Parts: sequence; structure tokens; C-alpha cells
Amino acid sequence: MLSLWLRRLSTDRIARSRERFSPLAVTGRRGNAEVLTAVDDAAEKLGLLSGLALTQARAMHPNIATVAEDAEADAALLESIADWCLRYTPLVACDAPDGLLLDISGCTHLYGGEHELIADLAARLENAGFAYSIAIAGTIGAAWAAAHYGEPTSYACGEERALLASLSLCALRLPPATVAGLARVGLKRIGDIIGLPRAPLTARFGPEVLRQLDRALGHEHEPLTPRIPVAPYAAEQRFAEPIAREEDVLAITERLARRLKFALERRSDGARRIELALFRTDGVVRRIAAGTSRPLRDPDEIRSLFVERLTALAGALDPGFGFDMARLSVIVAEPCPPEQIGIGGREDKAELCRLVDRLSARLGPRRVRRLIAQDSHIPEVAETVLPAQAVDDDAGWPAFRRYRNEVELSPRPLRLLARPEPIEAVAEVPDGPPLRFRWRRALHEVIAAEGPERIEGAWWSEHGGPARDYFRVEDKNGLRFWLFRAGLYRDLAQGTTPTWFLHGTFA
Amino acid sequence: MIEQLRQRLLALQRAPGIEDTPKPLSMGIPAIDTVLGGGLMCGALHEIAATSESHFTAATGFALGLTVLSAPSPRLFWIAEDMALAESGVPHGAGLDAFGLAPERLVITSVAHRRDLLWAMEEALRCRTVNTVIGEMRAGGLDGVAVRRLSLAAAESDTLALLLRAVPPTDASTAATRWIVGAAPSAIMYRPGMPRVAAQLVRNRRGQVGSWILEWSDSDGRFILATHAQPVAAPALDRPHRQVA
Repeated sequence: MLSLWLRRLSTDRIARSRERFSPLAVTGRRGNAEVLTAVDDAAEKLGLLSGLALTQARAMHPNIATVAEDAEADAALLESIADWCLRYTPLVACDAPDGLLLDISGCTHLYGGEHELIADLAARLENAGFAYSIAIAGTIGAAWAAAHYGEPTSYACGEERALLASLSLCALRLPPATVAGLARVGLKRIGDIIGLPRAPLTARFGPEVLRQLDRALGHEHEPLTPRIPVAPYAAEQRFAEPIAREEDVLAITERLARRLKFALERRSDGARRIELALFRTDGVVRRIAAGTSRPLRDPDEIRSLFVERLTALAGALDPGFGFDMARLSVIVAEPCPPEQIGIGGREDKAELCRLVDRLSARLGPRRVRRLIAQDSHIPEVAETVLPAQAVDDDAGWPAFRRYRNEVELSPRPLRLLARPEPIEAVAEVPDGPPLRFRWRRALHEVIAAEGPERIEGAWWSEHGGPARDYFRVEDKNGLRFWLFRAGLYRDLAQGTTPTWFLHGTFA
Repeated sequence: MIEQLRQRLLALQRAPGIEDTPKPLSMGIPAIDTVLGGGLMCGALHEIAATSESHFTAATGFALGLTVLSAPSPRLFWIAEDMALAESGVPHGAGLDAFGLAPERLVITSVAHRRDLLWAMEEALRCRTVNTVIGEMRAGGLDGVAVRRLSLAAAESDTLALLLRAVPPTDASTAATRWIVGAAPSAIMYRPGMPRVAAQLVRNRRGQVGSWILEWSDSDGRFILATHAQPVAAPALDRPHRQVA
């Protein structure tokens, strides 16, 4: 377990983005007072500590530079560093507000060992201008304690007990009140409580103290919640020389897909959602995801999906000085039994899926849609459009056909407006069709009409709306419309006229 | 040798939509089929424009009629610009179903730019499982190169490509045919009848042009020639007395 503490996250963020002020302090409002929330090294040397009131700090050192705190920017920075840390391990958790936890078990050999990994991480953070403190230990608790209260880089696998014994009780991540209470009875270091009888300690200070101690010592398991769910399949490649060209990115995608193919085949899985993560040399991580409409294993098809994704991104890929690592992960996998290829029907379906995937990759999955019949009699609710990748072939339509034949549904328009548009209409008789109406500023004289077809609103719901009387009308030019009057005449208040809407058009 | 090269050049120069494909799409109306030279060319691009924006649904109906004719249960890709869908409404499954087109075999794609429309149409045309591709666009010109690319893609896979335009285009076209379609009044009084369109063939790379009033018959799934309200001279081709025996 590796704990990374960015001691000066807020001030480092400001120092990275602007010209250097020093000493620098970040201020924020706590209760009613403006206080320092973070200080840099130079300010700390002057005796300024976070928590000090700003007025007091100004009185001590009138020339300090102060910047208002921005918790969101800090959190965003921490998340982007977490993404960047994915180069070490897929299990990275944010330890807000300024730390990260990395589960590096089984990953260290890629760097030649734990010490080398620490050295690599430290060198990269140093270059990026962050003050850091890194610790590796067997448990989350011990690593955290060592990072926050030990040496800037420490390694303590197997020596958690010795390491913890010498540290202050604050290192156990206990609430300040508990720590103060323990200090009052003379318990200041973790070593002081390790040997103590457990029952009285729990009775007096609550179960939290011993739970945290047990977790730090490894007697109790502490779960790690990774920021990004771990992909079931992933393949990665590091480059000695950074790559920047689109062709190279595609070539590496294909090569990684070829590697994933074996893993997927072994468990009869196929990819439904694939993500390509490109690690830029300056620490920025680009993620490009592509969805598929059926489980996919073929590297060529995966490549062609990313061709479309990259084209859609156009210039947004921005390789900068190049990418030095690429990882292809299957985020969502589905069982995909091996199938015989070359038999008509299946192959046709596969070709259609390929087309849908390509269009979705380029235009976005929400733009490639299918009509789905819904179980409703209200026209605009009776059908929904869903991404074609998400649905299967027959989606409720056979049931709709049975229903239509049973009730002899009157004709429905070919095109339905997204929402009914209000029109000005004049009807000859109260419950009859309109005589003429104005839609989009054009006047239409009705010469033929059919109806009404009454469609009741959703009376069981508060937002159901009134009943509608639909008419199919034809105007002088032969244009055919689907109109409705909202509400019934008998429900209208005295002296008001009903409202008419145009909902669709017929051929 | 020279002759051989000439033959090869001829083969390369053939315009798409002109060469004889094995099976032209019969409209089921002899008068129109004769003008079209046996029927609508399947692997070619056809332009269908509405007489004005308000007649767009009539033009849609004509395009859908051709789609139903194109295959026993056609797989349709409907690619439209966002504005076209917002202005004229989205295809309504219940209406399509009554028209004879299974909604489950339809994929609707909306695009933001004309560039994407042409790209998506070309992609869909290259897929052999798709029977018909309808591309729907608002007013505005079209690049001749793009139209030719679409024609070639359609010819390659023998797919029917229909370009649906909201207003009659003014640009020259390399499409196989160009139709201007508007709604036509129903024959029956007091009650809206079957879908009925006035279809005007204004450009035909294989021969004559003409104008007909067509009614879509839901039950038969084909067009029927409706009587014209005004007398129209028969197309020059259809004059048996002028033919040499």
C-alpha cells in the first residue's frame, strides 16, 4: 500500500499556474474569521501556520502574498493526479483533501521494486513542482501515518509496529477530540496504547481508537475504494520514445486490442465499452471511450471504432510533447460465446452492428437511435427513441401490432412534432373539427376532416393533462394534419375558448 | 489493343445509375416504369424535393413508398439534420407501421452538420444489409463531388439512396433522377383519404420526364396512379400510334 501526501497541494497549484510569490498563503473563511488555510514553505519558516487569522498574519508579516482558497480546483487537481497515478496501478483512491492511496501490490516489479517505484514517483512529482511525502507499508493506516508523520519517503513493509510505536496518536486518523482526551491521560504516542488492556480503552474513548489501531497494524482489513472502477481487462504499453501521431496511436490501439483478444477469448467475453487512456509526458491523461452494440473481440473492429472516435475529436486529442504510455481497458464486458461465422443471418446482423458502432463512435451514441414502442396510449409517450447500441431488434412492436389490429387504431401521422404546437383554430360547431387554422403563420382552410378520436390524458397522474380530441384534417392544398383540441367543451370555463394544437403531419 | 483500351476507358467512365443493373425497381405503374426505363434504378441516388417546406411530409411519404417497394421487409437508415427533425417532426413508428414499414427495422440518425450527413449516408450505403438510405436536409446547396460519392457508394452495394430536400434545389444534379413532390387533394369529399402525392419527375438521366398523381395503397403496399384533376398530355414516349410497327 502506498500513501502519497501532497503537503502543499493548494500553494503548489498556485505556484505552478502563476509567477512565484513567496511567501504565499491561501486564505478562506472559517466561521466568522478569515484565516490562512494553507501556507508554503517560506511562509511556514516565518512562523505562519494554517489556522492563523489573516489579520494576525498581516500584522506579523505585511508583505505575504495571499490568494483566496479554491477547494474545487484543489479537488480537480487531486483527481487529475489520481488519474496520472493510474500509470502505476489501476487501484488509486483519493484521500481527500490532499492525499492519494495506491494499492501497488503486484505492480512494483514493473519498476524493479518498491524503492525504485518510490524513486520514480518522487522524481516525477519533483519535476512537476509538488511537495510530496510518500510511504509504502503493509496497511493503509501505517502507510498514511508514515507519509504524514514520518520521513518524506519511507518504506516500512513488515515493520509497521515499530514504525507506528514512535509516532504521535494523530497518525491514527482519529478525531482531534479523542486525541486530546488521550493526551490528557498521558497517552501521546501510538506505542503507549499498543500494549494497553483493550476493554477500558474502548469503554472510555469509544471503539474508534482500537479499530484504527487494528487497521494500521493489519489485524483488521481496511477496504480501498478506487476512484475509477477497475476494468476487468486491460493491456498497456510504455514507450521509450513518446508518440504523437494519430497513426501511431491507432497502431498501438490495435496491438493492445490484439493482446486483449486472448484474455477475452479465454473467458468467452466480449467488450461492450472500451476505453483508451493516453498518458501525456507532462502528466495529462486523455481518455477516449467507445461503445459497441454487441460484445466485440476483433482487434480490427476495435481499431476502426477508434478511427471514428479520433476523427470526431479532430484536434482535441492534442498530444503536446507526446504520449509515453497507452492503456486499453475493457470497462464493460459481456459473455460472448464463440460463434460460427459465415452463415447468412448472423453475418448480416454483425454487419449492421458494425455500421451502428461506427456511426455511434463518430457522431455520439445518442445520435444513432431506434424507435421503441412503449406501453402507453398517449402519442408522444407511446414511442421513445433510444440509442441503437443499447436496444435489441424487436422492441415492443409486435405487441403494438396486435393492439392496433384489435382496436382498429385510426391512422397515425408519418411525422410527429417533438411537442404539440399551439395553433389558432376556429371550429364551426363546439365539438367539431376546425374550419380554418393558423400554424406557423400560414392559414390553412380545412376542406375535409375526420374525427374526433378521443385520447384521455393520464388521469392517474397530476401532470396528466386534459383529454384530447384528435382530428385528421386536410386543407385546400391537400396537406394533411393531425390536430387536437385540449380539453372537452363541457369542462371549459364560461367565456373561454379551447386551445388547439397541431401534433403531426400525414403524407 | 487500342480497342481494348477504349473498352476499358468506357467501363471506367460509366456514370453510376446509368448502366443497366439487373433489377430496376418497378413502381408498379407501367406509364412511369416506361419513362424510367423499366423502373427506378436501385443502386443509385435519387433526389426527392418537396414543392415547399409545408409539403415536406408528402415528399417523405413518397420516399417511404419507394422504400417499401425496394425490398420485402426493408431495412432503412434515416439520416437527418437536427433542424429537419425539429422543424418537420420525427418519424412516428405507428404511422410508419401503418404505411407498411416495420419500425424495428429503422435506425434514425441525427447529425449536426451537412458534412456529417453526407459521411453517414455514405457509410450506411456501403453496408450491404441496408436496403434504403434516406438522407434528409433543409435548404441549401450540395457539393457535386459529395453527390457523386454517394452515387458511387450506392452503386457499389446496390442500395437505394434517397436524398430528401425541403425545397426544390436549384443546383445541377448528378443524381439519377430528381423528383419534386407535393401533397395532392384527396379524391373523396369531406374526408381525408389515402396518402396522395403529386410527383413531378423533373430530371431523369435515362430519358423522359413526367408528372403523375400517385396514391399510396396501405393494403397493397404500392402506388396507384390516381386520376389527374387537370388533363395532362401523356409523356412523349407513351404514344403507341407514333411507333413504327
